[in-house]
Amino acid sequence: MKRLIIIAGQVAFFILMSVLMNLLVSALGWKIPGSILGMFVVFFLLQAKILRLEWIETGAAWLLAELLLFFIPPSVGIVSYQSLMLHEGLQIVLIIVIGTAFVMVCSGLIAQSISKRKGHTRS
Amino acid sequence: MMTGLIGFLLTIVIYLTAKRLYRYRPIMLFSPILFTPLLLVVLLLCAQIPYADYNEGGKWLAYMLQPATIAFAVPLYKHYPLLKKHAAQIMISVVSGSAVAVISSAVLALLLHTDQQVLYSLLPRSITTPIAMNVSQMIGGVPSITAVLVLMTGVLGSIIGPYIIAYLRISDDIARGVLLGTSAHGAGTSKAFEISPISGTVSSISMIVAALVTQLVATIVMSS
Repeated sequence: MKRLIIIAGQVAFFILMSVLMNLLVSALGWKIPGSILGMFVVFFLLQAKILRLEWIETGAAWLLAELLLFFIPPSVGIVSYQSLMLHEGLQIVLIIVIGTAFVMVCSGLIAQSISKRKGHTRS
Repeated sequence: MMTGLIGFLLTIVIYLTAKRLYRYRPIMLFSPILFTPLLLVVLLLCAQIPYADYNEGGKWLAYMLQPATIAFAVPLYKHYPLLKKHAAQIMISVVSGSAVAVISSAVLALLLHTDQQVLYSLLPRSITTPIAMNVSQMIGGVPSITAVLVLMTGVLGSIIGPYIIAYLRISDDIARGVLLGTSAHGAGTSKAFEISPISGTVSSISMIVAALVTQLVATIVMSS
């Protein structure tokens, strides 16, 4: 129960940050999303020791662990494009799978070959 | 309103069930990010519920993507020395990967003769949703179609990622993170955190670099 309250409080901090950052970005007319700015701001506050890691760590871990849940409602949005998916769905899936595989092979192999030259990193 | 609330609760229940199912039988169909939206789509179609009604509740879950993005600051902070040490390696790999993402989408879309609108909407599909929608708008795509394509990329990418990592024998934690974050944004990053905290952190930074670089290039190309 205590852990639940800690998580809720810390998650509320991140929600508050995102509301504030969205307001700031739209007030300044910047083109980057408020959440990306928010990440840099929180990172800076941690580096500057204004925010202590233990104040937000548990909430952050929870948010990141359940990240996939938050992707689900927008993915369901695919039902709004039934006719597009009926006509071009197969092509689209093929493009995404093949294209994504290309990106993975390229970025993965480049990063791996640089690592090999510099020595391995394993956790 | 009621539909929204039911949709909200149903999404969470199905997600938790899928998580449990996947633990018992780790087959692709049961992975929560595939199983949950599929089942919800079937339910919406069968019950003839418009997406907008479902999304009355769903949008609150989707909103949580924003605080979750901010939460990436925590692993970033924890592993900052490591990221700094490997900054060049990460930058080079992510920038090449992002170029491949845009070029391969364009070439494949031309080869398979998709609609022109779909082609433009496909180009920024590897990067995180808000920036992808931005770029899509700039280059003449349809932002809402881009959003769906970005999510499909995330879902499909987090499914094929582990196979490609195994096939190419990518054993380096940094390379694994770069591979997942560059190709499949937040969904890939979530997968990377399952592999190791280092892969997850590298993946979050890769996702951000990919998004910023793509937006920068699009801005330069479109304003020239």
